[in-house]
Amino acid sequence: MSTDRSLPVVRVATVVAAAALGLGALSLSACATVKPSEREVLSRPEMNPATEGLEEQFQSHVESAREGGFGGHGAAGGGCGCG
Amino acid sequence: MRHARSIRRGLGAAVGLATVLAAGPLVAEDRIIMRGNYYREQSTRVLAPVVYVEKDVPDERFTVGAEYLLDAVTSASIGAGAAAVTGGDFLFTEFRHETTVRVASRLRNWSLGGFFRYSTESDWISRSFGASVARDVFGRAGNVSVGYAGNVDSVNKIFAGRVLPHNSTGDTNLQQVNYLGLGYTHALTPRLLGGVLAEGIHATGPQDNPYRQVRDSLPETHPLLRRRGALSGFLRYAVPKTPLVLEPRYRFYGDDWGIVAHAIDLRAHVRFLKRVVLRARYRYYTQTGASFWSADGYYPAEAEFRTADPKMSKFHSHTPGGELTIELDGLARLRGLHWLRGAWVQGTYNHIFQTNRFGNARLGSLAFSVPF
Repeated sequence: MSTDRSLPVVRVATVVAAAALGLGALSLSACATVKPSEREVLSRPEMNPATEGLEEQFQSHVESAREGGFGGHGAAGGGCGCG
Repeated sequence: MRHARSIRRGLGAAVGLATVLAAGPLVAEDRIIMRGNYYREQSTRVLAPVVYVEKDVPDERFTVGAEYLLDAVTSASIGAGAAAVTGGDFLFTEFRHETTVRVASRLRNWSLGGFFRYSTESDWISRSFGASVARDVFGRAGNVSVGYAGNVDSVNKIFAGRVLPHNSTGDTNLQQVNYLGLGYTHALTPRLLGGVLAEGIHATGPQDNPYRQVRDSLPETHPLLRRRGALSGFLRYAVPKTPLVLEPRYRFYGDDWGIVAHAIDLRAHVRFLKRVVLRARYRYYTQTGASFWSADGYYPAEAEFRTADPKMSKFHSHTPGGELTIELDGLARLRGLHWLRGAWVQGTYNHIFQTNRFGNARLGSLAFSVPF
């Protein structure tokens, strides 16, 4: 029983580690590619994850009350030179 | 109370927590937002008006916000989703009051945030708090963030008109939840933004519904410990020479109760007029059942864990939806309406087709926001 229960957690940890490595590599390769003068499109409101905060909050409310999973609605604070 | 208990479940863990990473909706602007949320399914209707106010004091280096939410839940008498198992159905309405205070600060490349939330209803009191730190990196092409939030909830049940603590199989009625989230967002190209978010929750204490029963009138009994993890990612891509922004999202989730879930959320944002934005959405969600879920609702008397919670079952859902946002700057040119500069109205509707006992659901909201 304990092995079965720990399996999804191990799977999550594996996926997180793989994604972190992948994103790290992607970030390092991409970090210098977008200059401030090239961010006009990125500054559009539709490109800003932080603009949907309150609506995401209600979505998260319903999903956490009706689904076994959680998460996915936490925007990482905007940033990224888009604002 | 009984349904709200179900609605509350996970709320402390997820709502407070999704907000902590985003540092709430604080966007460094004096603004008031009024939103009316509506949720309806076969046996439950929720009306949830919310008012949110934020103000810079004196500028974005320090912003405070306050929010009040009222949950009016009209529901069948049996704990959510259990009517099909236990029978019985009369309607009642109950109320939950939630107040949140937020602070945020923007100092050069750093963003700091914190919140405290208090929620009360007839048989449940929740206290949430959290803090987040984010920093722009790579010349503001990237943003890394970390957020923590905690919940301490008092779980009770109402029996014969008295409020009694619900300990489940433990020795306390306090449900304690710790959440940690790590996020990273990066401008990958001049038209492409991407981000990932890793989240973990450690929850202890009573996590079952004291009113809900499985067949043979045995009480629902969930484990006192739950460890949960999720990894999600998103992209936002502005299609060249069009007003279209495409946003795919994916989330993977797993916990030590045996639930594994995948969610795919595809969104398209179209600014088809200068002041009008339409967002179309489709979401697919699927999950496995908990290791102690029984499809027919029967458990032996000696079973360690029992559940009648549809959230513990294997199911999937499809959710199409749309959202229309109209910016009111055009009206602000009219005499006497200059106060509408920067204001907007927004309508949202989602229809959830799902294969669990909750049945299909409708989810909508209307919002109005104005700066001051």
